[in-house]
Amino acid sequence: MASIELADASVEIPIFNSRGRSLKTTLVRRVGGQVEAGDNDVVSVKALRHVDLSLKPGDRLGLVGHNGAGKSTLLRVFAGSYEPSTGRADIAGTVSSLIDMEMGMDPELTGADNIIQRGVFLGMSLKEARRAIPAIAEFSELGPYLHLPMRTYSSGMRMRLAFATSTTRHPDILLFDEMISFGDAGFAARAKARLDAMMDNAKILVLASHDIASLRSYCNRAVLLEAGSIVAQGTVDEVWARYIDGLEKVASADTAPVESYDELLDSTVLAEQSIFAAEMPN
Amino acid sequence: MRSTEVLPAFQTGSAPERAWVREWRLAGSDLARCFKGWHIWALLGVSDIRLRYKRSRFGQFWITLSMAFFVAGIGAVYGGLFHQNVHDYIPYLAVNMTIWTLISTTISESCQAFIEAAPYLRQEALPKSTFIMRVMVRNIMAFGHNLIIIPLVFIVFLYPVGPVAFLALPGLMLVLAGIFMGSISLALLCTRFRDMPQIVGNLLQLAFFVTPIMWHVEQLGHNAFYVEVLNPFAAFLRIVAEPLLGHVPAPQTYVTVLISLSVLTVIAWPVFAKFRARIVYWL
Repeated sequence: MASIELADASVEIPIFNSRGRSLKTTLVRRVGGQVEAGDNDVVSVKALRHVDLSLKPGDRLGLVGHNGAGKSTLLRVFAGSYEPSTGRADIAGTVSSLIDMEMGMDPELTGADNIIQRGVFLGMSLKEARRAIPAIAEFSELGPYLHLPMRTYSSGMRMRLAFATSTTRHPDILLFDEMISFGDAGFAARAKARLDAMMDNAKILVLASHDIASLRSYCNRAVLLEAGSIVAQGTVDEVWARYIDGLEKVASADTAPVESYDELLDSTVLAEQSIFAAEMPN
Repeated sequence: MRSTEVLPAFQTGSAPERAWVREWRLAGSDLARCFKGWHIWALLGVSDIRLRYKRSRFGQFWITLSMAFFVAGIGAVYGGLFHQNVHDYIPYLAVNMTIWTLISTTISESCQAFIEAAPYLRQEALPKSTFIMRVMVRNIMAFGHNLIIIPLVFIVFLYPVGPVAFLALPGLMLVLAGIFMGSISLALLCTRFRDMPQIVGNLLQLAFFVTPIMWHVEQLGHNAFYVEVLNPFAAFLRIVAEPLLGHVPAPQTYVTVLISLSVLTVIAWPVFAKFRARIVYWL
């Protein structure tokens, strides 16, 4: 059974400056009992705040929000790579995150070797991955290039190979950061059919997007994220209306829209300043 | 099924799990999933070696060649310096250097294990120990290439090998277990504290000189005891090297190894359980 349960999940990411990264300064500080500079060496960003969310099979969730609102962080929590710093996230079922389809591929390896390597990351055994090569080769139309290093490929060829390999297996939970767009018209049609089949097979789908058309066509519910919190949820159109509303308000108030990003920037700048301040001879 | 079967679903209805129980359970499942998904680290480790030497003339046999040059050079100079019989000294040096290289490079490369895996760890719920095993596989492969030198040297210098050499195998297993446990703690610490790799590098350099690799422990006279018992590197080295050189390692060497292994495990495991989930945030 595929399911995603988030209960009061928060993600706090520490941003270390060079002092906070150093064992020596950390030890010296502990031993000497100095605290003045200490607090600024580790600045933490609250990327996700107290998120409660429950997804069941059949759910197609759209994530809406500004850049830096926490969409990617939430996707990483769904993928299981970020375990919440407080609260809990329980994810059951096989997950494929198509956020970076080239993950696990190496430009120096040949196309065929890359299929095996990417395939293994997708959960195939070596044998399965080897067996998948002909079908992937056919779909990606790489022909003789399959046995050349991937660095010789054009970006379109590389994308085809990554796409064909990443969509070979059908996971329970499928995660996307923006819908994939394909250049070549002929390939685009075939790719869309393949992707749709994969999405239909997935029990749970999560799509983070700024594009209302793809949200409408793939999602049956949506949440709006702002500074790491869920501020609205409901149907795609309701949530989208809230999002646009917020944009207009911000535009009229003429304030900076990207709250959490600014927060991050400010705090890092402060931290950097404090280093210089601390190192100034008195 | 898939290697990234994430956290097992929380049983609803049961009493909430204590935090440390959960941490230990997840650490255990990290290791279990790592070994279940063995083909990931096997593949990554092997392609690391292949990529490193891909565009060179001798391919991965550069590893063997550079070790051969090292043994020949050091053997000629230090054999004379220590007034050693070349027929005994070169095989002794070749065996020690091969094993020492396995131990020291795995330890120093393990410092980067999680850092170099950042793109993988950020995107998927891969077991963290997978990337420790990747470093181990990579170095075991290099060790395999260096190993070729030993029979060659033995033949050239007509050094006798007995059945006692088979004792090197359990010795090697203990060495690998020790490296694995040490690497877990080091990889974690080095991800959090980025000045650790330099410290580790310096300590390994020191260890090279205080471990009987280029010199014989007997040359120390009655101080030999301290090196044999108190230097865990020497103990780990000798349980593999001595059988290959035709001696049965002393029981106290095994005792030192087993104690060191327990200490490494007792450090590594709680550290890993406690901080495993933080690794991604530290990248």
